[in-house]
Amino acid sequence: MKATYLTQFIMNACSLFAVWLVLSGRYDLPHVMIGGIVACGVAWLNTRLQCSSVHHFSLGRLLIYAPWLLGRIVASSLHITKVILSPSLPIAPKMIHYQMHLKPELAIVLLGNSITLTPGTITVEVEGDHLLVHALDEASCEDLTSGRMERRMAGVFKEEASP
Amino acid sequence: MNAFFLFVLITLSLLILVYLYRVIQGPTVFDRVLGLNGMSTKAIILVVVMGTVFDRVDMFVDISTGYALLNLVGAFAVAKFLEQRGGL
Amino acid sequence: MDILAVVLIVIGLFFLTVGAIGMLRLPDVFTRSHAVSLTDSLGAFCLLMGLALYQGVGINMLKILVVLALLFLLNPVIAHATIRAAYRVGVKPKAEEHP
Repeated sequence: MKATYLTQFIMNACSLFAVWLVLSGRYDLPHVMIGGIVACGVAWLNTRLQCSSVHHFSLGRLLIYAPWLLGRIVASSLHITKVILSPSLPIAPKMIHYQMHLKPELAIVLLGNSITLTPGTITVEVEGDHLLVHALDEASCEDLTSGRMERRMAGVFKEEASP
Repeated sequence: MNAFFLFVLITLSLLILVYLYRVIQGPTVFDRVLGLNGMSTKAIILVVVMGTVFDRVDMFVDISTGYALLNLVGAFAVAKFLEQRGGL
Repeated sequence: MDILAVVLIVIGLFFLTVGAIGMLRLPDVFTRSHAVSLTDSLGAFCLLMGLALYQGVGINMLKILVVLALLFLLNPVIAHATIRAAYRVGVKPKAEEHP
């Protein structure tokens, strides 16, 4: 328990310090020192608030997931563009009740975020492992209903999603 | 190149006017909130483009970051208020 | 590099315009949110990517990428909060239920 707290603290402090370095843009000693102190202080205040599922998570797999998500965003954006610009406006909105098999809270948050980020689908309600998704038409929600997006997300968290 | 960025700025302002129509016209209050959200996204992009025009991106990016965070807090406040009160 | 940046910016402007047209044409709140998310994701991505490429490799590029990451993380959260409030208050979507 002590070790996970320490690793979480160090991860938080390092990411906050990286954001400080990018946003401040000055690299003389006083600025960097102030940044380090502030990052450690904020990380010390915030570490106990985090959920405990961080250690399943691997950044490298997220870097594999991100380009795939970007590809899906481009594909569904082109689809939605075609729908909006066509004169007859062929929309068939539907509400989908989707049962998830993901356990970690962070995975559920990232999955909901990905669904909303993809044009054509938006997360309306989350209750436990039950998602309510609004989709613009049949083609745009195909990725979710076939379970492909959830399998990818389970891959990020090194877990098996039983179909 | 500056003329091109001026064109981008003018187009973004016209798009903001379209969203303003939705904010004024929108049937429900959630249409207005959604329109304001879209407007603030455009404003964030507009500030970054303006920074490119003035060649001071490092300063303008900080402004747009603050704008994005304020937008988040404001949208949360409005959504929470409407949810608890049950519409307007 | 500049030509690639200009092409990306024009593509981004195109998607922003499509999002605005969708905001005008689509019938209710739930469908309009799709137009907003189209604008927010691909339009903002292409435009800010173009601006970052125009800046060239350096601290300015990193800063613009930070704004882009912030938009990608925060905009879905805002859209979800608004739509959830609309759903809970009782704005009914014109949609068929699907298990």
